[in-house]
Parts: sequence; C-alpha cells; structure tokens
Amino acid sequence: MAEMSVIWLRVAAALYSLGLLHAILTLVRRRENLFRVALAALTLGAVFHFVSIVEEGLATNLCPINNFYETLSMGAFLIVLVFLGVHWRYKMESLSVFVFPLVFIMAMVATMGNPVSTWTNQVVRKTWLTVHIVLVLLGIAALLLTAGASVLYLFQERELKQKKPHALYYRLPALGTLDDLISKAMGIGFVLMTLAVIAASTWAFIEHGTRWITQPSIAISFFTWGTYLALVFLRTTAGWRGRKAAIMTISVLCLSALTWAAHVRFGVIVKP
Amino acid sequence: MKLLVTGVSHKTAPVEVRESLAFREETLPDALADLKSREGVHEAVILSTCNRVEITVTTDDSTDPQSIVDTFLADHKRVARERISAHLYHAEGRDAIHHLFRVAASLDSMVVGEPQILGQLKNAYGAAKNAGCLFGWLDGLITRSFSVAKRVRSETGIGQMAVSVSYAAVELARKIFGSLSGRTILIVGAGKMSELAARHLRRSGASHVFVTNRTHERAVEMAALFQGTPVEYSRFHGMLPEMDIVITSSGAPEYVLRKEEMQRAIAARRNKPMFVIDIAVPRNVEPSVNQIDNIFLYDIDDLQEVVNANLRERMKEAEHAEQLVAEEVDRMMARLKIAEVTPVIVGLQDQLEQIRCGEIEKVKRKYGPFTPEQEEALEVLTRGIINKIAHGPISEIRNHAGHPEGAHVIAAIRKAFRVQE
Repeated sequence: MAEMSVIWLRVAAALYSLGLLHAILTLVRRRENLFRVALAALTLGAVFHFVSIVEEGLATNLCPINNFYETLSMGAFLIVLVFLGVHWRYKMESLSVFVFPLVFIMAMVATMGNPVSTWTNQVVRKTWLTVHIVLVLLGIAALLLTAGASVLYLFQERELKQKKPHALYYRLPALGTLDDLISKAMGIGFVLMTLAVIAASTWAFIEHGTRWITQPSIAISFFTWGTYLALVFLRTTAGWRGRKAAIMTISVLCLSALTWAAHVRFGVIVKP
Repeated sequence: MKLLVTGVSHKTAPVEVRESLAFREETLPDALADLKSREGVHEAVILSTCNRVEITVTTDDSTDPQSIVDTFLADHKRVARERISAHLYHAEGRDAIHHLFRVAASLDSMVVGEPQILGQLKNAYGAAKNAGCLFGWLDGLITRSFSVAKRVRSETGIGQMAVSVSYAAVELARKIFGSLSGRTILIVGAGKMSELAARHLRRSGASHVFVTNRTHERAVEMAALFQGTPVEYSRFHGMLPEMDIVITSSGAPEYVLRKEEMQRAIAARRNKPMFVIDIAVPRNVEPSVNQIDNIFLYDIDDLQEVVNANLRERMKEAEHAEQLVAEEVDRMMARLKIAEVTPVIVGLQDQLEQIRCGEIEKVKRKYGPFTPEQEEALEVLTRGIINKIAHGPISEIRNHAGHPEGAHVIAAIRKAFRVQE
C-alpha cells in the first residue's frame, strides 16, 4: 500500500479504537455512555479512511481491492458506511457492539500491508508475546466459565420447564444468577480475546512482515474471534439464552481449542 | 432429679382432645404457678399450640412426675382421664430430651420444617420464665433446644423449600430470576389466590404490581392493596413485554393468553425470562405457552406438584436433621453424666485438701517456723502429691459416670476416700 494511504488508515483505525472501547465498556459495565463519542470518532475515522482509499487508488491507478489488505480496508469502510446509514435511518445503537470491534480489527489488520522493521529489543518481543498468551489463557478461562454456566443454565431451565423438581433443581443456582454470570464472563472473555487478537496480530506483523496473514492458524484465530463476536452480539441484542446460547458458547470454546491446536501444529511453518 | 414430658399432639390425638386440653395464653401464668406449687416439682413449662399441648416438668427423685401432671390436668381440665389417656404420650430422661429437641427442630410438626413451632416454644419458655417456673436445669435444657433447632435449620435444608402453593410461586420466581428486586407483576383477574401470590411476591422484593380485571373497579381496589396500578382490561395485552411475572386468575371461560401472543411478547422482551402463573380453573393460559423458550408457565396442579416435591425433599433433609438431633442428645447426656458425678469429684478434692492442710499444720508445729521459700516448697510438694493421688479416682469416676455398674465404682471410691454424701 502507498505510504500516505497507510498513514491515513492508521489514523482511521485509531479513531475506530474508540468504538472498540465503547463496545468493551458496554459489555463489561453495561453502560453505553461513550456511544456518541464513539459514533463521532467513527464518522471522522470514515473520512480519513476514505482519504486513505482515494490515496491508494490514485497511487495505483486502480480500484484499491488488488490485494488482501486493500480489500479488507475497503470492506471495513463499506461496513462503516452501511452502519452510519442504518443508524441515521433506524437509530440502532445495539448494532454498534458488533460493528465497532469488527471495523477496528479489520482496519487494524489492513494497516499491516507494509512490513515494518523487525524487533530491535528482544525483551519487548518476548514480553509482547507473553502478554498475548496470558490474555488468551484468561480469555479461555472466562469462556470455560461461560460454557460451564451455560450448561448449568440448560439443566436448571429443563428442571423448570418439566415442572417436576429433582435434586438438581434444589442444588443449582437460579437462572437469573447463572444468566448474570454468563453475561459477565462472556463480556470479559470477549474483551480479553479481542486484546489478545490485537496483541497477536501486531506481534505476528512485526515478526513475519506481510506473510503472517497467510498462516492457517491466523485464519482460524480470526474465525474464532468472529464467532465470539457474533455470540456476544446475539446475546446483547437478541437476548440469546438457554439452548441456543449454550450451543454457541460451546462452539466458540471448541473453536478456541482448535485455534490452540492450530497454533501448536502450524505455528512453526512460517519462519522469518 | 426426674424429667418428664407428657402431652398430646396432632400425631396422637384428634382436634377435639387437643382443644379440650389446650391452655389459653391468659390462663397460662396461673396454671404454671399451680403446677410449680405442687410438691416435688422443681421447674415446669407448658407448650400449648393448635397442634400440641405438652407439659414438661422436673421433679425430685422421690416424686412420680406423671401422677403430678395427671392430677394437675384433672384439676384444670374437666376431661375424664380415660378419654385422654389413650392419646397421651410420655417421655422421661433421655427420651424426654430427645423429644424436646425434635419438637424445637420442627421434626415432630405436622409440616416438617415449619418455623412457627420454635416461636411458639420461645413464647412458652417466656411465659414459664415470667411465672418463675424456669430457673435451673430445665431452663438450660429448653435454651439448648433453641440452639439445636437453629443448628438443624442452618445445617440442613429442612426449612428451605416452600410447602404452600403461594410460597411455591415465590420460590419458583426466585429460581427463575434470582433476585425479585425490581421485577414487575401483572395480575389478570382480581381473585383471592392471585392476591395472595402477589402479596408474597411483593414482600419478596417485586417492585410494582399492575392489576387488570374485566370489572375495572375491582382492579382499582386490588391495585390499591399493593400501591399498584390498575390497567384497563382492553390494554393489558400491550403491557405483556414489560412484565416479568404474570398471574392469571380470571373467570374467563376461554384462554386469555395464547401462544402466538406470548411469542410476540417474549420477542419484544428480547428473550428475557417470563414467569406465568395460571391459577384459574378453567385455565386462562394456553398450555403450549410453556413450549416457548424463556417462558415458564405453571398452573395450579404444577404448583401443587412443586409443593409435593418440596415435601419429599424436606423428608430427606429430616433424616439428616434426626442425626443432628441424636448427636445433640448424646452431647447433652454426656454433660448430664458429668454433672451428676461433679459433687463426688468436688467432695474427693475437698477431702484430700483437708488432709493436706492438716498435715502441713502438724509439720509446721513440729519443725517450724519456716522461711517463705520453705513454705512455698511445702505447698508445691504436697499439692503435687494430692493431685497425683486424685487423678486416678477422678478419671475412674468420670469414665463410669452414667454407666449401670458405675454406681458401685463411685461408691467404692467414695468409701475408700471417706467422701461424705
């Protein structure tokens, strides 16, 4: 990508990060105070994003969808435009929990089309990697808690639906308590996983240049994160509970295990 | 000292016998005073509830407590002895302690685990205390029974499950929502049962009650009972998405809430759970509503089934409670046995101490005066000797306390050391 195009895109991604912060606060603290600021930042970010795309188009004399990074940038920009249009027409704030993190991650990855100088300090490199691993482990712990609570929710829900209480009915917590635990663990888990994905992407980008994106383990990671995002979105907007939520949570947990396995199996294929 | 518990309960006597023996609250002080004044009686308590009339007394060893209570009942209640004798139960000593602990722990109640009996026992204790009938050992025993009841309630789930239909509704609401704080209730049809259920839910923290009825005035009256809001009957369907708990008890011959309508309501609530209690007969809510995810529909039979399951669960917990009570009785008996031999132990120690003091005096007269250091050495030496001597017999007395053959051992020790009665 053209140098100036990447700079404008980085500015846009920085502005989109406010949207990510809004989504995090909404999930963890269940408040939406930052929405207006995040929306303004998104709108301003879209302007810089547009400049970046125009700059890239002028530099290459082609529509900037010639490689993965350009396509991703264009995709993120279009999502922003669609969201702004939908919000202007229908005032759908709840959609922001899904769109803001997605747009930020897409824009951030799109800025990684040009390789940068590799790690100069090995301590920083190792620390960065350690932070990523710790975040992933904590995220998986939160996900396990979510899955465990979801299974208990299913049992208690079945007891209540069948109307013939057995031992489980008396021993399991209330549905409301489990639901609260699921929401909190899921929100915190998603935040940790998102930060882990950001840490991992930047680490891999600096470590492997532009080739990092071609790794299968990276593709699986993004797919897992995307599924987690969809789960969080469906829970917060459509109020998915019970069987649907439990199945999806367990799917995300399985995908996380697959991602881990993929990192162990394929993580060593690409070496600088 | 003898301990006797005698009386009638729902298990041994029909209501006509129980009511013929019952003591009214205002007559209790005189009755207690009379019982206490009888020869040989130390302490006394009378527990009189709708399910039980029970007299507990402690008397001298030489007195027959049963005859005292029989005479007392004959004097106070004009009931033929032969009419009640078949219904009276008696327990003495260990059995009486066991019975008292079981009663306090609500294991002998009609509804096992019900909490009222402990309050009633406390009232009986208060009345006896005020009448000067409790001051010693029985006082300690009754107080101990309160602790046993508390332990049983805290260590078993005996009192945790609802055993009435209206409480079962509250318990289910708690199982669905966790806390009821901030929950909204809609009552459809202003009947007595729905009023009772709503009252319990409101007391448990539900925030606001909406009432709707075909006759709007009745809805207004009922809403006033809960500081709630009356809703026009034609409008209540539109309010369903905002309601967490819906109680229906209208006399409508057809369903007032149908599946499609509830599906729309739950979608509008973004799948937040909803508890629908249908206590109307014929039912007001289409049964298939329970198939909708996140809606929990209970009719009157379902609530009764929950109550039955709770009662079965209580009986399981009662087995654990019985073990705790037996444990507490053993502990109490062990204390009693020690208390019984305490005078012998104290007498033995006094006897040895007298011997020691006498011997020191003799030595002082013969070899004195001594320096303070020498006196201290004498004290330490002689005290050490008598402690060593006393250790063996005291251990034997404690070990044999309460055993049938123990009396001989204790008598032999008493004789050997010349311990006086």
